[in-house]
Amino acid sequence: MQETVIQQARVPQPRTSELKKRLWKNKWLYVMLLPGVFYFIIFKYIPMLGLAIAFQDYKPFKGIGGSDWVGLKHFERLFTEPDFLNILTNTLLLFGMNLLFFFPVPIILALMLNEVRLSFFKRTFQTLVYLPHFMSWVIIVSISFVMLTSDGGIVNELLAYFGFEKVNFLLSPEWFRPTYIIQVIWREAGWGTIIYLAAIASVDPGLYEAARMDGAGRLRQVWHITLPAIRSVIIILLILKIGDVLELGFEHVYLLLNSMNRDVAEIIDTYVYTAGLRQGQFSYSTAIGFFKSFIGLVLVMAANRLAKKMGEEGVY
Amino acid sequence: MKKKSFSILMGMVLTFSLLLAACSGGNKGGSNNPSTAPSNDTGAKTEETAKPAEAEKPTEITIMLPLNIAETPPNTIKNELEKLTNTKLTYQFFPADTYEEKLNASFATGSLPQVTYLKNQATFVQMKEAIREGQFWEIGPYLSEFPNLGKLKEEILNNTKVDGKLYSVYIGRPLARQGIIYRKDWADKLDIAAPANVDELFAMMEKFTTGDPDGNGKPDTIGLADRNDLIYGAFKTASAWFGTPNGWGERDGQLVPDFTTPEYTATMDYIKKIRDAKAMNVDFAATSKTDQVNMFTSGKAGVYIGSMQDVDSLVKDLVKNVPTAVVDTHSMIAGPQGQLASWSIPGYNNVALFPKSAIKDEGELKKILAFFDKLMTPEVSNVMYWGIEGTHYTVVDGKAKASSDKELTEREVKGYKDSVIGEPETNGMYEGFHELPARIHAEQLIVENEKIAVADPTAALDSPTYTEKGTGLQDLIKDATYKYIYGSIDKAGFDKAVEDWKKRGGAQIIEEYNAAYKK
Repeated sequence: MQETVIQQARVPQPRTSELKKRLWKNKWLYVMLLPGVFYFIIFKYIPMLGLAIAFQDYKPFKGIGGSDWVGLKHFERLFTEPDFLNILTNTLLLFGMNLLFFFPVPIILALMLNEVRLSFFKRTFQTLVYLPHFMSWVIIVSISFVMLTSDGGIVNELLAYFGFEKVNFLLSPEWFRPTYIIQVIWREAGWGTIIYLAAIASVDPGLYEAARMDGAGRLRQVWHITLPAIRSVIIILLILKIGDVLELGFEHVYLLLNSMNRDVAEIIDTYVYTAGLRQGQFSYSTAIGFFKSFIGLVLVMAANRLAKKMGEEGVY
Repeated sequence: MKKKSFSILMGMVLTFSLLLAACSGGNKGGSNNPSTAPSNDTGAKTEETAKPAEAEKPTEITIMLPLNIAETPPNTIKNELEKLTNTKLTYQFFPADTYEEKLNASFATGSLPQVTYLKNQATFVQMKEAIREGQFWEIGPYLSEFPNLGKLKEEILNNTKVDGKLYSVYIGRPLARQGIIYRKDWADKLDIAAPANVDELFAMMEKFTTGDPDGNGKPDTIGLADRNDLIYGAFKTASAWFGTPNGWGERDGQLVPDFTTPEYTATMDYIKKIRDAKAMNVDFAATSKTDQVNMFTSGKAGVYIGSMQDVDSLVKDLVKNVPTAVVDTHSMIAGPQGQLASWSIPGYNNVALFPKSAIKDEGELKKILAFFDKLMTPEVSNVMYWGIEGTHYTVVDGKAKASSDKELTEREVKGYKDSVIGEPETNGMYEGFHELPARIHAEQLIVENEKIAVADPTAALDSPTYTEKGTGLQDLIKDATYKYIYGSIDKAGFDKAVEDWKKRGGAQIIEEYNAAYKK
């Protein structure tokens, strides 16, 4: 809705009178729109002016007005930082794994839930898989710590009991990514099913009936009716997910990060925190954040274009 | 759905939301300021008209400081202080956890009050740039006018100087609180004496692990409980025993960082040996302080290396789980060559600064310093540190014994306690009266430790490169140290990390510190 207004305002005005008439006619709609518009201007657009400090040597006591402008200095530093490539790779790898292993899980789960006929069981199960979403990462990581530690954690005790080597899950670089992905799936998969279930619910039952008449089994029905019906929802969610590329959950990764797995676990978010807040390099960390948002924007635009080529609607 | 396209923009903005949050917080602080100031004004005026005979009207002082408890303390102590010092005080308490944020925001908006406490040495280092820019009053030249402030220890004042000038007053802390806290009952049972050197300490940890000290027939105990902290955990304290310099040390007339010395490597080998023998929690690189403390208080671990003053809180929880437990403190652990050493902090844990934006002229500054001068008298500092006699503490043998109602004292006094300037020797306040034998022992050891204390020679020195990227570079070394202890890199790999450190700016830091040291 907001966008329509902006677009309309941007239209070169050969027919001003008509536009005015239309505006006047729907004036109450626009009045109702105002709070939303102000919300975005005040809380989303004005703060964006803060980006200016990425091009300054920002000093808190001098303010944005008084700090020296340094052009692309901070970006240069970022691109020449020895760790930069490593951090970028880690971020993209983690994102790729997220897409590959996490993204399909809610879809599969939703399809499975949809096939459950026993309403009581379905509801209970649904509630149970939603629950982890409401737990904070601190709690999830602490629970995993207690379970995975080699100082008497249950997983390692079991491994030892069955005669296997103990595995140092918490501190070995190889185990960081699997741990991360499993925790993400455990917490978010159930929550992610909500939208899919809603989309599935809107499928015309007549279609299933017709398919059954033609002798289609359960799997056939899923493949030929349910999946195509939620295809556009899947694609929209995929594009949005790609937009969040680099939102891998700062809190989560930061909690898992330690000296032993830093080589694989340091991502852009944690790096921004270390450089910006712990070391007070406001300009530098703003520049990194800016770069990160830029990657996100490019990826979303690419994904959107791809979706349109495939004949889907896209998000804009 | 169209709204969703904004999510990208939101994403961009998210990155700055933290900064913003800081700004809005600052505004709040800023608006607090003027609103309290006028009310003070009127208060003072009415007093003036009411009592025209009064010679001097109370000085109005606003103080900003970190708060280490959850609730803002009531006015009990503040009122007492106002009476004693003829002032009208406004205390602005902010939670210590987010204090840096408040500090930066208030600073950015020019709303720091007349007296601004920092949080610790790290925030002080970050403020140095602003201090050089002339944002704060230099108080060095005035100190001699105030007899009590003049008592502050010269060597600690030197540590807080910026370019040789003094801008702050300090909150004193014992120099060397490091040592070990261990299970005396376990040691007695296994017939082990207090360890005199590092090898005996290792033997003790090993026996605690294998000797079934809790007598339940299961191998469920470990020697040392450590955490993911190389400084306040076990590592730095152990490194001092091996003769590693404190942060930086002089070798062949040059200042070098501790991790380039062979003693540092020896310490890494020592911890590696303990870990390989499974005489400590092998996951210590991922263990938080809470988990570490739990290991000790649940009766799983027998040795804790760190600040010996932690013994009170450790014992409090340990006896709940293991009523028969006996704990003692110990230091004076000799290194391989029989030498004794203990690393020490620069004698302060926080400072108070005087912003020029709030203090307009010399006259006002002198009035505020006069207030601090009064704070340094025994009557006033006792009120701030111990509270009100009879309510919060009683005097036993010339020492202050905290009242048994610990909660009341914590609520009413703790907030002020952490801002007392100086230490008992300089401000004359009572020493603490302790009942726990291990704590009494710890206090004696802290005095003994001071004789063998190793100071950080760079405490008063300055390196611009260090201020800029020192903390980030230190992470390289920290990671390499853990990797060495865990055996994922060898000495060559560690040396490579040190080379890397030098290449990325470490060499410059060495140069800058040495240049400053020679001066």
